Amino acid sequence: MRIRVKLFATYRELVGARDLLRSVPDGVRLADLLDGLLREYPRLAGHRDTMLLAVNREFVEPTERLRDGDEVAIMPPVSGGRP
Amino acid sequence: MIGIQRRRIDIEAVVASVRRDDAGAVVLFLGTVRADPGIRALDYEVYRPMALTKMKELAGRARTKFGILDLSIVHRLGRVPVGGDSVAIACAAAHRREAFEAAAWAMDEVKRIVPIWKAEAAQTKRRGRR
Repeated sequence: MRIRVKLFATYRELVGARDLLRSVPDGVRLADLLDGLLREYPRLAGHRDTMLLAVNREFVEPTERLRDGDEVAIMPPVSGGRP
Repeated sequence: MIGIQRRRIDIEAVVASVRRDDAGAVVLFLGTVRADPGIRALDYEVYRPMALTKMKELAGRARTKFGILDLSIVHRLGRVPVGGDSVAIACAAAHRREAFEAAAWAMDEVKRIVPIWKAEAAQTKRRGRR
C-alpha cells in the first residue's frame, strides 16, 4: 500500500521534508508506520507521546489500520496561548 | 463564515456575517500578535483542509451546545506583525450570555483541535519569504 505522510511545523523542520511517500504491507496500523519513521528520523522519537495523528484529516489513535492511498498527518500539539 | 487567509482579516465583514434580526447580542473576539520580548511577527502554518473541516465542525457544535444563532471563524496564515489580528471569532445569539460563552468555548476549541501552528518570525526568516 502507498501512504502519503504529511509533516508540519517543527516536525517538518526536524525531518527536512513536508511530504513523504511510504510503501507498507497491507493491514498495518498507524503505529507500525510511525515506528518505522521514528527509526528513520530519530530526532522525531522524543515527540512520540505528544504528537497529534490524523488519517485523511480526522484525528485517530495509533491503533488505526491504514488503507492504500491514506493521507497520514503527523503534527505537533496545536499552538497554545493561555486562555 | 469559515476561512483561512493570508490577507488581513476584514473584521466588519466577519461581524456582518453573523448579524441577524433575531440576535440580541453579537460578540467579537480577536486574537492578536503580542509584543513579547524579541517578537516582531508570528508565522502561522496551517494544515488547510483539516483545519477548515475542524473549524466548520466546531462552529456547528457551538450552535447546538449553546443555542446560538451563528458563529464565524477566520484565521490568518503566513506572517502577522505585532498588533495584527491572527484570528477573529464572531458569534450571534438571542442573548449575550450564550454569545460570550460560545465565543470563549470556540476559541478554546480552535487552540485544541484546529491544526494551526505559530512560529516566531524572528527565528524563521527564511520561511517568511515564501
